[in-house]
Amino acid sequence: MTDFFTNPLIVKEMRERFRTPKTFWILGLYLLVMGAILLGFIFIQQMNSYISPGDNSELFVMLAVIQYGMICFIAPALSAGAISGERERQTLNILLTTHLSPAKIIMSKIVTSLAFIFLLVVTSLPLYSFVILYGGISPTQLLLLLLFFSVNIICFGSIGLFCSTWMKRTGVSTITAYGLSFFLVVGTGLVFIFLGMLIQQMYPEVYVDETVWNLLGIKLLAGMNPPYVLSEILGENIGPKLDWFMPVWAYFSIIYGVLSLILIAGSAYLLRPVRRTWFAWKK
Amino acid sequence: MIRTENLTKHYGKLHALNDLNLEIGKGKVFGFIGPNGAGKSTTMMILSTLLGPTSGRAYVAGYDVIKEPKDVRQVLGYMPDFFGVYDNLKATEYLDFYAGAYNIPHSKRSNLIADLLELVNLSNKADAYVDSLSRGMKQRLGLARCLVHSPEVLILDEPASGLDPRARIEMREILKKLRSMGKTIIISSHILPELAELCDDIGVIEKGNLIACGSVDEVSVETRGIAVMQLKTLDKLEETERILAASPLVKRLDNKGSHFRFHFTGNDSDKAGLLMKLVQEGIPVLHFGDSKENLEDVFLAITEGVGN
Repeated sequence: MTDFFTNPLIVKEMRERFRTPKTFWILGLYLLVMGAILLGFIFIQQMNSYISPGDNSELFVMLAVIQYGMICFIAPALSAGAISGERERQTLNILLTTHLSPAKIIMSKIVTSLAFIFLLVVTSLPLYSFVILYGGISPTQLLLLLLFFSVNIICFGSIGLFCSTWMKRTGVSTITAYGLSFFLVVGTGLVFIFLGMLIQQMYPEVYVDETVWNLLGIKLLAGMNPPYVLSEILGENIGPKLDWFMPVWAYFSIIYGVLSLILIAGSAYLLRPVRRTWFAWKK
Repeated sequence: MIRTENLTKHYGKLHALNDLNLEIGKGKVFGFIGPNGAGKSTTMMILSTLLGPTSGRAYVAGYDVIKEPKDVRQVLGYMPDFFGVYDNLKATEYLDFYAGAYNIPHSKRSNLIADLLELVNLSNKADAYVDSLSRGMKQRLGLARCLVHSPEVLILDEPASGLDPRARIEMREILKKLRSMGKTIIISSHILPELAELCDDIGVIEKGNLIACGSVDEVSVETRGIAVMQLKTLDKLEETERILAASPLVKRLDNKGSHFRFHFTGNDSDKAGLLMKLVQEGIPVLHFGDSKENLEDVFLAITEGVGN
């Protein structure tokens, strides 16, 4: 494991990324904006309403939603240029003639692409300490939120990386990665609602009231929708109430974890310069 | 050291390479000549394990490029015709990265990098950012990068392309050093005269077919019966031109003002006969011999009509 993290590609990428002042400016600006939003809302709340400690999770929800939006926006883009960027810079072929295997290249790329966004999330954790002051959330919720963010970052990063390996141009790969991420975040929710309503309309005598939403297939689809899972973690209910056979965050983490693994393995396969011809994909 | 057997590569309907058979011995420098799209880069990419052939086999140092790509990569250094460099890395860091990528231990790297920079005359640029180097320097750094794991075989695709004359000469000197180190080198170039001086053998490729292969002399004279000759006289240029033009063995006569260049299709005694005739006609001949910088002409002559 130590060998992996000291592998030359990770060292080089980290060196390149953290050597530029731009990285630190972005980090500073991000914390400034997030902090300003948070402090601004705290200020407004103090002016306009009576605060009851232990009963106020609005700020937590707001901060989590903003940060999740940021993850959806940044994570696919960070990795969508990882391989196509090498191809465009004409350094990929050289890299492939070294002893770095395609799998190692892909793993290094995902680690280095996502290191920055993880840094953003980790450095913003102190902001949550403000929120904890106001109560209304438990440490478990905070940890679950962190897990949820990590799973999403890895999955969106894997989508970006897969598109980057699959497509030649970074521009096309970024748009495709955004499209696929959008489907996961919004599309799964829409499909869930559409299918539920469709089944209910088709068999109104079988599925009275809300029973249709607890059909296994429909429920599993809901568990794949990040906003739904986020709302469950935050204790805010959006959509129908579902009975889960396991914690929904665990189900979500397993599904997105497996999806990430498949995408990473697929990327490593696509990166191989000479592939088996019966399953060749034009690169 | 390098062998290809009926190496063929098709991209859909395009036949990039047809039944290429090559045999390059250890320590030899092999020059690949051909116009753009002839199949040189395709061959080099197959040998570098970056591309699979449609059919046929290729071996580098006895290793099959398809079945044993890892072993091939260990003995081979590849420099593509166009390659980029990483921003924000210094020359030493750039080489250190590739040394790491070839699993060279940390303890050996600093000496190795210093030696490589010395070899390619970039010692004074060790701490310069790669991005700030000139094209010629980047090209030399690329060459140093190929040598990081001390490969026996070097595959250099147009290493002198886009370089100014000075940078080209510097590159040629480095290649000569590498040749003296016993490296087996395949080099392609469209600056053909450079290959004449550097290469033991050349292969002429056009439309995916190897048209000629052998030493520079064999390819130009013995195999094809063509030599490109140069004649310099003190004066009597018009008379000289008339005599040359009248000879059936002289083709493509080119009056360069100070001298003549022409393709000669005869053998050595025919050459002697032509010289004798010139002298008998009272032409003050200063120089009569093979043109040293004639590969372009040889290339044009032997690829004439191919693919039409």
